[in-house]
Amino acid sequence: MPMRGIFRRFLDQSLRRKLILSFLAVITMGGVITLIIGTRIEHQTIISLAEAKVRHDLASAWMVYREKLNSIRELVLLSADREFIAEALRTGRPNGVAARLDGIRKEYGLDTLTLADARGRVVVRSRHVEVSGDDQSGDPFIARALNGQVTAGTQIVSPGELIKDGTDLAERAYFEFVPTPMAAERPENHEENGMMLKAAAPVTDEGGALLGVLYGGLLFNRNYDLVDRVKEIVFKGEKHKGHDIGTATLFQNDLRIATNVLDDQGNRAVGTRVSREVNEAVLRRGGLYVGRAFVVTAWYITAYEPIRDIDDRIIGMLYVGMLERPYIELRNRVMATFAGLAGVCALFLLGLLSFVARRITQPLAIMAVAADKIAGGDLTHRLEFGGKDEIGQLAHAFNSMTADLHDAREDLTQWGRTLERRVEERTRQLRETQDHLIRSEKLASLGKMAAGVAHEINNPLTAILINAHLLLERCGDHPPSRESLTLIAEETTRCAQIVSGLLNFARQTPAREALADINDIIERTIQLLEKQAAVRNIQIEKNLDRSLPWVAIDKNKIQQVFSNLAINACEAMPEGGTLWVTSGLSRDGTSLEIIFVDTGVGIPKENIPKLFDPFFTTKNFGTGLGLAVSYGIIRQRGGAIDVRSEVGRGATFTVRIPLESGADKSEQSEDMS
Amino acid sequence: MTDLAKKMILVVDDEPTVCKSIREALLREDYDVDTALGGEDALRLSAKKKYDVFLVDLMMPGISGLDLLKMLKSECPSSRIIMITGYPTMKNTLQAMQTGAYDFLPKPFLPSTLRNLVAKALGGSGDTGSNPAG
Repeated sequence: MPMRGIFRRFLDQSLRRKLILSFLAVITMGGVITLIIGTRIEHQTIISLAEAKVRHDLASAWMVYREKLNSIRELVLLSADREFIAEALRTGRPNGVAARLDGIRKEYGLDTLTLADARGRVVVRSRHVEVSGDDQSGDPFIARALNGQVTAGTQIVSPGELIKDGTDLAERAYFEFVPTPMAAERPENHEENGMMLKAAAPVTDEGGALLGVLYGGLLFNRNYDLVDRVKEIVFKGEKHKGHDIGTATLFQNDLRIATNVLDDQGNRAVGTRVSREVNEAVLRRGGLYVGRAFVVTAWYITAYEPIRDIDDRIIGMLYVGMLERPYIELRNRVMATFAGLAGVCALFLLGLLSFVARRITQPLAIMAVAADKIAGGDLTHRLEFGGKDEIGQLAHAFNSMTADLHDAREDLTQWGRTLERRVEERTRQLRETQDHLIRSEKLASLGKMAAGVAHEINNPLTAILINAHLLLERCGDHPPSRESLTLIAEETTRCAQIVSGLLNFARQTPAREALADINDIIERTIQLLEKQAAVRNIQIEKNLDRSLPWVAIDKNKIQQVFSNLAINACEAMPEGGTLWVTSGLSRDGTSLEIIFVDTGVGIPKENIPKLFDPFFTTKNFGTGLGLAVSYGIIRQRGGAIDVRSEVGRGATFTVRIPLESGADKSEQSEDMS
Repeated sequence: MTDLAKKMILVVDDEPTVCKSIREALLREDYDVDTALGGEDALRLSAKKKYDVFLVDLMMPGISGLDLLKMLKSECPSSRIIMITGYPTMKNTLQAMQTGAYDFLPKPFLPSTLRNLVAKALGGSGDTGSNPAG
């Protein structure tokens, strides 16, 4: 869960931060892993190099060791061949031999040089002449020499034997153990034995008969010549901060008996013991130990190898070691350089990454802001970075998308703005169309009926009219009959007129359209009415648009319509008034509009729907067909007549005539059939 | 001299009262007026007598006025034929005039109108009179 929480938190970061964090993680991980592996490899390399060197150094030390042993062997061997020794043994007079032997011993730096007879009894102990006559044939070196073998090797020498060569020698060999932290447990707390390089050679006469044995030795305990020589030859006295880098030690068993490893006080650390680990590996198992080891006060890269006596028993160790610190410091320096380089690289990468991340995320951030703005409705916002990479393409796509959105919204807004108006317009048109349709149907059926009725009535009317006139012709001047007959004739004529009007209305004879100026027709209509109107105190005002196009119309019929409307208007103004006649284009530019406005009595609201019905009239005279016929004519032409009026406020009749002659073919063809 | 023989007129209408009224009106002018109530009658009469003027109702059951007009035009090419109708439409009028009617008289009409038209038809010389129905 906490891992998930961290991951979730990571995901919530900004893109740039995520990129940088991810790369940082990769760099850090890579760096750490590289550093760890590098350190390992470095360490391994340096240490293994050091170990190879120390191994080589150990071999060198062994050379020094063997050289020393060899020099002792040579000395003993050469001395054994000397005449004065053979002489002394042959004659059994050792006088004077002791002094000469001691001279040789001292000259070559041996601790002991002893002559024994052919049975192994000591004849002369050059170091300590006072002790002699003891049997040394039990000593393996002496025993082999007695058998004629020259023998050289390392030997543990008991304090009893040491003391024979002088108490000082036994004392040199003696060590109290210095407590050593990592050493193996030992029951004793001191060492009395000594460790010696020893060589024994038989002394023979000319004939080769054994006369005795000459043997000599070098006690290692507290003898630092060998180790210092090793140090000098192998390490050439190299120092690190005042400390010798190279050290060599001779161990008797696990005890340092000769060394140039120093303790805390700067003294040679003799009396201390080897660590348990080395003890186990070298003394117990007899192997070579190469590796880190804690030597007295510091870590060393070390090599230990067992020292064996002539019977191949492990009796001690030869050690060389190099202070580890210089190597560690070298390694640390290398590592520090490495880490520093890695750090610089990481910093450089981080900088580069930051730059790249910015290059990637900055446009994205700008886009995010832009997207916000667009979401907020600002569709004019544009991104202004180019480039041919994916981000550039994205920006381009983004811009064109925004532009499309903008256009789409503009269209929508525009559409929305006009929609309401269009709905209203359409609704109005629909209602009008419906009204016109109802009216047209009403008219059509009425027309058919009227035609039938008119036809039937015409026959009797013809008979009545003719006979009435015939009677009038016959009756001469007989007043009462004449009066009645005249009345009959007149009323019959009126009937005939009504029927004729009905027929006119029903017939709607086909229009004979020709291009005409509508204003012309208006002028002609008004001209006919003007005098009559002036008499009735009515003014006629024209407001004509002279730029109107000519349209295809039946002049006579249209004039009939205008005449009807003008007459109706005049009749609506019994007290006088003004009739305005206006011509113009409709708002949508598709029709002519001729408007008759009067200041007359107006039309009651309930009468408006019936105005165009045939036979509807409010006048005491007239057929009630004028408006119906007018309406029929305009409908036939594809136009319409609209009325607006209120009682006492006059009336407005608007005649619309489409510019295109959309004459209603159905009404026309019906008539033609 | 020219009026020794009475002018012969045949009125064709499916309405007896109309036929009778027209006959009455024309008799005053001293024409010889016959009536027929349909196309068959008219054809039968015209086969027997030679009429100068026919007055033919356009809308009749049986043989229509227009058909009768055509037949009369072929049988009595010198006669003048005036069409009468109670429902004059442009279509009828045009057809009648194109078929060869002399003129067209919408119902109802005054006796004077009738007499004038008939006199005109009789007075004109043959078929050459200009068509008044324009």
